[in-house]
Amino acid sequence: MRVLRLSAIWAALAMGVGLFVLLGYFIEFSFIQDLRLLFLRWSVLLAATALLVGLINLVAVHWRKVSLTEEGWIYSAVLMLSFTVTLILALFLRPDRPAALFIFKTFQLPLEASLMAVLAISLLVAGFRLVSRRRNLLSLLFIGTALMVLLGTGPMPGATEGPIVNLLGNFRAWLSQVWAAGGARGILLGVALGATATGLRVLLAADRPYGA
Amino acid sequence: MTAAGLEGLIVLGVFIALMVGFLAASQRWPAHFRRIPAFEELNRAIERAVEAGERVHVSLGTGSVIGPESAPALAGLAVLTRIARATSMSDRPVVVTAGDGAMAILAQDTLRTTYQEVGASELYEPTSGRLLGATPLSYAAGLPAVLANEQVSVHVLSGAYGFEAGLAADFGERARVFVIGGTDDVQAQALLYTVAQHPLIGEEVFASGAYLDVGAMHKASLRAQDVVRFGLIVLILLGVIVSTFEGLA
Repeated sequence: MRVLRLSAIWAALAMGVGLFVLLGYFIEFSFIQDLRLLFLRWSVLLAATALLVGLINLVAVHWRKVSLTEEGWIYSAVLMLSFTVTLILALFLRPDRPAALFIFKTFQLPLEASLMAVLAISLLVAGFRLVSRRRNLLSLLFIGTALMVLLGTGPMPGATEGPIVNLLGNFRAWLSQVWAAGGARGILLGVALGATATGLRVLLAADRPYGA
Repeated sequence: MTAAGLEGLIVLGVFIALMVGFLAASQRWPAHFRRIPAFEELNRAIERAVEAGERVHVSLGTGSVIGPESAPALAGLAVLTRIARATSMSDRPVVVTAGDGAMAILAQDTLRTTYQEVGASELYEPTSGRLLGATPLSYAAGLPAVLANEQVSVHVLSGAYGFEAGLAADFGERARVFVIGGTDDVQAQALLYTVAQHPLIGEEVFASGAYLDVGAMHKASLRAQDVVRFGLIVLILLGVIVSTFEGLA
């Protein structure tokens, strides 16, 4: 019974706050606008605190791996060491000091750039895999369009001007500005409706992601 | 109140009325949706994972809870409820990762509540819902370790992603696990279409709750979405006709 009452309180709280924030988008009364702004500021604070809790959770997961010497524990140890060093440097020096920037430029930036390079290779491989695995009209159309857009975007070897280059460029523009943009707008319309429905389910307490 | 504000409120009011109406009529007038093979395959993959003692991984993406990008992750949390129930008999309960601290906490809450509901509170571990990385690429970089070390055989991507969606799905493909993925970003959807075994296109990610039988309200909201969509299409067509004739006159 106690759990039931508590869950009703959380649901009512979420519905009330959600309703005020939502109404703030449509109604311009200063009371509702002020309240919406206040709730949004609170949510930013809460999100920052949640990040801290999340980081503690991250450390807990990897601490357990290291202490139980689970498979791949060495990576967890490296993560914890990097985490501690970065945290100390950023806390005691400041994130914009050379030491903290050195970590960012020397480790994080090259690692993220490498992942982007991996993504480019992965997409190329996935493109071939798509044709062999899902050999249907849509997949062929998708790959064909991607190839045409690539051909029309990149420079042609040995030619910067000419009828073929211009034709490819115009065809690419027609594909991306008419067909792709039209399709994307249709998809965005569906996504907006889906997002609205999801938000309304939370607002009506049909979905309770806050665990009540 | 501005005219745009009033219009917005009317559309929202109609949406809510339709959702409640379809919910009330759900017994007498059950919903029938078009077939989406990805969801059928997901149900089968979850059953196989439970039987084989393997784990299901739900990725809630890299979006924040307080931004507009939270919607697909909230849909993912609804799916998580269904998956947590289905895998509560398994030796290896579901593991959830997010790229946002608040989303990780919501995932933990969802798991705790669902296990309580099915009488399996002992399955809940706070580390089952975890923050994997605070930036999109660090999140993606953490995924291979989760997939390998947790013995994952089903990799569900439901959340906000940018270009890291391609990496997230590709790591699953490389691990030879069942990969299903959907998001709200159009470019990320194109990446998922190329890489993932079972991509969810358009608003399909938001329909996952209805297709996986999470609750009657999910089906009601999907039907409401369809009605509002048809209404919008009619209005767009009318707008095109009116502006065409105005141009001719």
